[in-house]
Amino acid sequence: MDFLRRRIVTSIVVFVVVLNLDFILPRLAPGNAAEILAAGSKVPAAAIALLEQRFGLNQSVYVQYELYLKGIFLSWPPDFGVSYGYYPATVTQLFFLRVGWSLLLLLCSLAVGIAFAYAAAAVTSLRRGGTFEKAVLQISVLVNSTPIFWSALGLLWIFSITLGWFPLYGSVSFDTTSSLSFVISVTEHAILPVATLGLSIFGESYLLLRGSTQEVLKSDYVLAARSRGLLDRTIASGYILRNSMLPLISIMSFSLASLISRLVLVEAVFGYPGIGDLLIDAVRLHDFPVVEGTLFYLTVMVIVGGLLGDLLLLRVDPRLRSE
Amino acid sequence: MIAAMLSLVLLGPFFVPYSPYAISGLPNQPPSFAHPFGTDFLGHDLLSQVIYGAYPSLLVGLGAAVGATAFGFFVGLLGGYYRRLEWLLSASTDSILSIPALPLLILIGIIYPVNNTIIVEGLILVLWAPAARAVRAQVASVKKLQYVEAARTSGMTDWQIIWRVIVPKVGAIAMAYFILLVSVSIVLVTALEFIGIGNPEIVSWGSILYFAQQYGFYLGDWWWVLAPGLSITIVATGFALAGFSFEEILNPRLRT
Repeated sequence: MDFLRRRIVTSIVVFVVVLNLDFILPRLAPGNAAEILAAGSKVPAAAIALLEQRFGLNQSVYVQYELYLKGIFLSWPPDFGVSYGYYPATVTQLFFLRVGWSLLLLLCSLAVGIAFAYAAAAVTSLRRGGTFEKAVLQISVLVNSTPIFWSALGLLWIFSITLGWFPLYGSVSFDTTSSLSFVISVTEHAILPVATLGLSIFGESYLLLRGSTQEVLKSDYVLAARSRGLLDRTIASGYILRNSMLPLISIMSFSLASLISRLVLVEAVFGYPGIGDLLIDAVRLHDFPVVEGTLFYLTVMVIVGGLLGDLLLLRVDPRLRSE
Repeated sequence: MIAAMLSLVLLGPFFVPYSPYAISGLPNQPPSFAHPFGTDFLGHDLLSQVIYGAYPSLLVGLGAAVGATAFGFFVGLLGGYYRRLEWLLSASTDSILSIPALPLLILIGIIYPVNNTIIVEGLILVLWAPAARAVRAQVASVKKLQYVEAARTSGMTDWQIIWRVIVPKVGAIAMAYFILLVSVSIVLVTALEFIGIGNPEIVSWGSILYFAQQYGFYLGDWWWVLAPGLSITIVATGFALAGFSFEEILNPRLRT
């Protein structure tokens, strides 16, 4: 269980770092939060003083730090302050209002992307150099270096603007009457974002799978399996892919963070009301408590996702269990 | 491909048909002979904008890549050489890799007044970790070699060993990371400008796309998005492929 213990320690370290980063970054800025908020708008000095008091900004940094930690750990739900843009709503409320849509996109895209990458790797792993293999490889390389917001704009233009097959923005239309039409509407709205994100996950994981199948192909146990006369199909699914999945799982849990960055951009293009959209709104409204809180929750999501990935790895790879 | 793009950046401004800030035609025109990439919602010529826009995008991308590689290289060297510092290195790289980069950059972009320096610094903050990790691994393995031992017994100090023996050995991998990082940071910069963190007054690939999304794309002005997006893709792919082949030359095991 050494492996798991190490990963838990890492997670705690990351948690502490993001907790402190969230506290330090805004306080390194010139001026204080209340002044930044008031900059450019006509806010009376009394209101600024009130805000300073509300956030404890007129106290020493240590007192502020104490208040900050108390707000997060000793109150439920965790207190990241109040949004400036959607005034009475708290950051935590806003985050949990939106996170469902983001998770829907994220999980569907992961499922679609990895399933296709897995299938493509299964077909191509034993047929190196074929036309199909080359085509898939080129698509993956291309997808990997295309900025995701641009491919999103491209898909949006083709399928929504020109062909009109899918809605332009949003996650569900307002005029759904039955639960069935609700589901249909949600699906319609989700297809393009999921396709964009799924394509990018596909490119990434196919290249990874390809790299690791290459290693596995050279291994002695594949040679042994082949000399025992096993079918190509059995070798591909039972030996090569099973072993190539391991690096994919461990790297996927690492690239969860980059996945969230891409998710933000996809939501920005498709006007999908998840966390990304919340962040874009926050940029427009200069709403930094929201960004601060969102960054914290997203990092916690990455940490939890990483730990889940580790548990999965433990299940799939018996070598780690005996370590 | 990279050479073509660089010459475009250097020579392009002398050949552009119109000033990117001047209104040179009717608004929202599709590509034509007078305006090969069309015009935007105010009648700016998009070809000129794309050529001018290359400069800020590439400049910030290069700056961030240089900074992130240098910082990552330095941290990796120290972390790989001094075993005692290793925990610090792995704690910080793990943290950076687990904190989503874009939300972090958005936070920085909201809190600080946005200018190129802040963006470059922010990018360095989110991008140095993979290079540091690779350099650290390389240093740790080089350190075990016998001639490092020999250098030590011949009385070289730690600094001398690091600079004269280890740096030449691991410099190449830093170079490969540098090229890859150029590609990554150009895409990230453009993404930031696209969502509105950056200076929309300055013409850059990201700001063209930002205005396109705000003002014309939903009307079907595809030409507004095509050229800047394609430029970013070409540059990013060019640098990524260059980086990969560099890595492949360095690391014969990757060759197929």
